[in-house]
Amino acid sequence: MSSATQPVPRSADSAGEGGGRHEFLRRTGAIVWKDLLIEVRTKQSFTAMAFFAALVLFIFSFAMGADVRLLQATGGGLVWIGIAFTGILSLSRTYQSEELAGGLEGLRILPGEQRAIYIGKLLGNLVLLLTLELFLFPIAGILFQLELWRVAAPLAGVALLGTLGFSIIGTFYAALAVHVRARELMLPLLLFPALVPVLLGAVNATTLILTGDPDGVMSSWIRLLVAFDVIFFVVCTWIFPLVLEE
Amino acid sequence: MTSSDVAVSLRGVSRRFGWFWALRDVDLEVAAGASLLLAGPNGAGKTTLLRILAGVISPSRGEGTLAGVALADNDGIRRRSALLTIGGYLYDELTALENLRFVSLMCGGDTSPTTFARILERVGLAGVADRRVGAFSSGMRKRLSLGQLLLRPVDVVLMDEPFASLDDEGRALVEEVVEDMKAAGQTVFLASHQIGESLRLIDRVAFIDRGSLVFVCAAHELAERRRSHFEGGE
Repeated sequence: MSSATQPVPRSADSAGEGGGRHEFLRRTGAIVWKDLLIEVRTKQSFTAMAFFAALVLFIFSFAMGADVRLLQATGGGLVWIGIAFTGILSLSRTYQSEELAGGLEGLRILPGEQRAIYIGKLLGNLVLLLTLELFLFPIAGILFQLELWRVAAPLAGVALLGTLGFSIIGTFYAALAVHVRARELMLPLLLFPALVPVLLGAVNATTLILTGDPDGVMSSWIRLLVAFDVIFFVVCTWIFPLVLEE
Repeated sequence: MTSSDVAVSLRGVSRRFGWFWALRDVDLEVAAGASLLLAGPNGAGKTTLLRILAGVISPSRGEGTLAGVALADNDGIRRRSALLTIGGYLYDELTALENLRFVSLMCGGDTSPTTFARILERVGLAGVADRRVGAFSSGMRKRLSLGQLLLRPVDVVLMDEPFASLDDEGRALVEEVVEDMKAAGQTVFLASHQIGESLRLIDRVAFIDRGSLVFVCAAHELAERRRSHFEGGE
């Protein structure tokens, strides 16, 4: 038997056991790398999301007319409607590559901390949605006559917090909905009630950034977003292995 | 046998899907380094047993160990066993090399290019390492799944229909790989309908029917035991 015919020596097995943080990061990185590579090659989610988001913004822009004050007052909400609708498209495809590759069992069968799978999927969704927002916000700025460059930093902060909350809940619910037959219908039904706090915080904070905050209430909306993100990140990460197990 | 000599020990292992019992009260002990064929008709419970031993699903009832790890410890079981499924778990948009790298990264295995090159060479896919798996035939996919298995240095190897979709050369490859695994001291479980090819590779046969383990016998006794089982109307 030549060495080329032998399996990898079994002593290497112990390297994966108890690797702790390094193992967790490596698994998380593997999921992000695989998902983004597949997305870059297929462009399935991003193309659909970009077209849909642009369409939503154009329709609202035509419907609102040329009233600048109205456009600026509602611009924050309209942008988040675009993000929420297109985000659902992306989230429903979170585990599509696994389904095409034989199901979530393909991930479950590989030893190691399963929460890393959730974090990896979450980061993949976050990158995809934030990339979309890089296009979406400038388009909204043009259509709704918003001077975004003056408030770019706080706007980016709110977008990050809101998108993170959206991805935290969405990635978790997408895993719950994998085995549901009418997934495209069930995912929004399950997801939107849970997203109410994050959408409320993101819409109000964005609107206050764009129109001004004379009463100084924006910090409470930011606190809501931060609290939502922290609490749901901990809860979803903690119970994700129960969702993944059959 | 001492506990270190036992690769798999099952006591009353059962698995239910809804109201259907796919596996009932299976008692089985397999020595470390042994090779066992799981035989039986379609729907007998062979794949369910392999999935339990792979840590993919847990038994609904019963207990057991695999390489000294309790079946209840799914992650411990997954670290010590590897499962080759009929369809494999392959990402069509990734290349053969990338599919191997992904499994290796997820399992903490060796990610050096030489390891991947050696394995792809071993399974006869060296020439298509950078081709996307979506363009592979079912036989090539099976070979790549076999390559994924070779990446995992485990105590117990579980193969579900390893000869399916393969040509003569591919079947010979599976036979060689199983022989290598046995020589390396790994315990091998095969579930296959290609009884003739499988019998050449294994020491013993466990016959399962309607979820129950009917008998365990030496390879050469299978024909006789099956005949008496079916003639007995059990």
